Amino acid sequence: MTNLLSQPRLKVIKQICWTLSLGVVAIPFVFPFLWMISAGLKGPSEIFGQPSLIPTELRWSNYLEVFSYQPFARQYFNSLYIAVAVTVLTLFISSLAGYALARLRFAGAALVGLFLVSALMVPEEVTIIPNFFLIRWLGLSDTHWPLILLPVFGPQGIVGTFLMRQYFLALPKELEEAGKMDGLSRLGVWWRIALPMSRPALAAVAIITFLNSWNLFLEPLIFISSLEKFTLPLALSNFTDPYGSPLWHLQLAATTLAVGPILIVYLIAQRQIIESFALSGVKG
Amino acid sequence: MARKLARHTGGQDKTVPWLTLKMRETMEAWLFISPTLAGFLIFFVGPLVAVVWYSLTEWNLLSQQSVFVGLDNYQDALVRNADFWKVVRNSIIFAIGLVPLNMGMALALALALSRPFRGVIFFRTVFFAPVVTSAVAWAIVWKFLLQGDAGFVNQLLAQVGIHGPNWLREPDWAMVAVIITRVIKMVGLNMILYIAALQAIPRDYEAAARLEGASSWQIFRMITWPLLGPTTLVIMVITTIGSFKVFDHIYLMTGGGPENGTLVLAFYIYQQGFQFFDVGYASALAMIMFVIVMGLTITQLALRRRDT
Amino acid sequence: MKSIISSITLSTMALGMMSSALAAAELRFTVWTGNEAHLALLNGMADSFKESHPDVTVRFETIPAGDYTQKLTFQLAGGNPPDAGWMMEDAAPTFVGAGVLEDLAPTLNADDGYDLPDFSEPARGLWSGDGKVWGVPFSTSPFVIFYNKDLFDQAGLEDPFSLAAKGEWNMEKFQEVAKTLTDATGKWGFEFKDGQGYETRIMHALMPPIRAYGGDVWANQECGFDKPEAVAAVKQLHDMVFKDKSIVPPGENGDFFSGSSAMTVNQISRASLMKDAGFGWGIAPLPSGPGGESPVIGQAGIVVFTAGDQKELAAAFVRHMTSESNVAKMAQFFPPARKSVLSSEAFTESNKLIPTEQMEVVKDAITKGKVLPSHERSPQILAAMKPRVDALWRADADVEASLKAVCAAIQPLL
Repeated sequence: MTNLLSQPRLKVIKQICWTLSLGVVAIPFVFPFLWMISAGLKGPSEIFGQPSLIPTELRWSNYLEVFSYQPFARQYFNSLYIAVAVTVLTLFISSLAGYALARLRFAGAALVGLFLVSALMVPEEVTIIPNFFLIRWLGLSDTHWPLILLPVFGPQGIVGTFLMRQYFLALPKELEEAGKMDGLSRLGVWWRIALPMSRPALAAVAIITFLNSWNLFLEPLIFISSLEKFTLPLALSNFTDPYGSPLWHLQLAATTLAVGPILIVYLIAQRQIIESFALSGVKG
Repeated sequence: MARKLARHTGGQDKTVPWLTLKMRETMEAWLFISPTLAGFLIFFVGPLVAVVWYSLTEWNLLSQQSVFVGLDNYQDALVRNADFWKVVRNSIIFAIGLVPLNMGMALALALALSRPFRGVIFFRTVFFAPVVTSAVAWAIVWKFLLQGDAGFVNQLLAQVGIHGPNWLREPDWAMVAVIITRVIKMVGLNMILYIAALQAIPRDYEAAARLEGASSWQIFRMITWPLLGPTTLVIMVITTIGSFKVFDHIYLMTGGGPENGTLVLAFYIYQQGFQFFDVGYASALAMIMFVIVMGLTITQLALRRRDT
Repeated sequence: MKSIISSITLSTMALGMMSSALAAAELRFTVWTGNEAHLALLNGMADSFKESHPDVTVRFETIPAGDYTQKLTFQLAGGNPPDAGWMMEDAAPTFVGAGVLEDLAPTLNADDGYDLPDFSEPARGLWSGDGKVWGVPFSTSPFVIFYNKDLFDQAGLEDPFSLAAKGEWNMEKFQEVAKTLTDATGKWGFEFKDGQGYETRIMHALMPPIRAYGGDVWANQECGFDKPEAVAAVKQLHDMVFKDKSIVPPGENGDFFSGSSAMTVNQISRASLMKDAGFGWGIAPLPSGPGGESPVIGQAGIVVFTAGDQKELAAAFVRHMTSESNVAKMAQFFPPARKSVLSSEAFTESNKLIPTEQMEVVKDAITKGKVLPSHERSPQILAAMKPRVDALWRADADVEASLKAVCAAIQPLL
């Protein structure tokens, strides 16, 4: 008996209880994913039958049907290239502006900073209607341009600018001074010295921007009308029969396809991703 | 060659007067900032000014005809339209429900997961996974799980003898459901921010306090919590703003229903503007949303400043 | 390395942005069907249009019915209008009022063989005025009961078609068989149209019984939901959902077409879903009520959008689509408004899936029926109704009070 309650043993029991209770809390976080995978392999009638995580037979054909129902591969590619484009542009523009705000002394710097930071407080729903008309006026309706321009130049891009600025501020100036002595132009210093030293910040901005673009919903909803120009979030909500009722089995198979790769990338790089987020939060 | 050239001009730099140097730096700065600033003016400031103008007109989205009506739209919202106040109430309830729950849970999880133990990485990964998942996917799955008697959640509850509500069909439960599912989706982000902040707190503080016989609660109350102040502020501001801009989650899970029980501002703007073609009224709503969010943010920042 | 990545990015961007160059004459035509049989029929018309317009192609673009009007709005308001398209009856007054529909009268009247007056006058009501024609009704499709014969047999019940033939198919009987079916088969007795009676098809769910009881949802700018007839009708539905538990309740699924419900209300265009249903089925008229027989008709028209830049061509295509011979072809899915087609025997024999004597049900309903209500402000009216109707669909709801609330909400909009 005494042995049972000895200190190390108590510690182990405590540890087990601890892990178990965390496990219980984790259920609503994990379960949706398991269920999504499972239901994506069920037939339409089985989804509504007795709830069970294990399908009676695996309907891989759901996955084929996803691609024949709408140009899903194309839509997947759209999401991917738009997210890449938005990320690259945002990194470029926000690191330039962030660098200027952090390093250069110029008249109006404080004003510009304040001006930009106010954007962080404004939800994009506030400006969506005029932007709808602006895009129409530019003749860019039903193209991917609004899905690139609005995030890059909207509040999301400003977040990037500030994350970069904070990071540059914390960098030692000496290397850059040396670079200048070496005759590098301002652009050269930014490109050859400041940027290579800011990999963690760039990674953080890239991840946030990519995810934001990948998951964008309101903008595609109102700007995109052709099926082959849809992005994933729009495509996912479009698995309905012609009368508007959801085709759950297809929708969930497609959702698995959409979430899967991101989740896998996340699992592989989770340590870096979490660190990047941590960094962005603390500094921002 | 380029390097040589640069060195050459660099050499020249040293000879130009101080004023020109400063002017040059200013020019460079504006050059660096110009892409961001130009985009910002075109896609943000311009539209913001336009919203003010639109909000003073009656403007039909379909026919594209507009008439100046002064403050009529604001009057419609604030005085005539009973739905508006319900929507504001919903948005506030959503924020009041979501922000403390999200932050409290984030802090609790962060405290549990800020120190290494076997499985810590696993749990951090799990709690963060919904953050990287698209809101659409999340809403689709939860909408299904939360169906009436046939829904998985209620089937589980039935196993333990609880008759679950028809979650998304009863206004109050629907609000509870959208808040909880949103918290599960987003709490991982705040958890990570808290973990980072916790790890930045030097261990010595805690060790010293323990030596003096402080309890865990006292350590948390007197040391950890005050040191988390700046992080808490950032998280609070981000989460509050985020709770006001929630659109996709509501659009996909409840469509603002039932009985308008989850109709929040962001969705209401969309509905008025794009479903009822009432651009003027929707713009007035957008302005009101702008004022509310600005006001809340400034209040939070000011309160914090007074505290410290 | 970086430059390679960026050049890849740039080229993929260019690839993605390239919108396919428009052929000299391509008409974009939006529809809400994705059904292969329907699309084959439509494409056939596009092909035959080539006989008179050899270099014109017509592309049919499917937008799911649930989002149809919304997506159409985005396209029109966003400066990306289709040339022509289908339009539902509830959207018609809004779009006419906004002036975004082209007057087709000159084009239609230019062809002597077209014979516009052949379309029955009530069917044209929604789509014309002041000598102008903003659309041509192509589907004047009554709501009918679809029933699962196997489930009726299993429950030992006479099916609705036979009951109707004997004159016994009324609201009372409807409630009785639905309950018996539920108890005997474990399936749902009845499902609202497309399972969306609590969401996007509130009107389609409430309208038939209200009319059967002799009421109306609104008439002459006066709300009818709180009149005794409507209250009685909705009370019956409410009892069926929550007391008898014979109607698929809110938040549940009971798809008729996959065999989970014994009856539903729908239009004959859905018969194409029954091809591989795997159970015996039939159609019957809506049950009659204290107000007698009162069929409900859903209508859809073909319109041309003013914002398009090929309006004349689009109008010519609409004329082609709605010629007598093409209307006759469409009749199997979309019951015609052309009197000449409706009275022909070809109509009752047009749908291979539905026996002639059951098609008589459809024909009968078209002649007696009233079109679903519509209004210039229908989006607002529906949105104002929705939350109050939501309140109705709770087990403990006070039906009469809820309907009063519906009227209070929509009266100012009427």
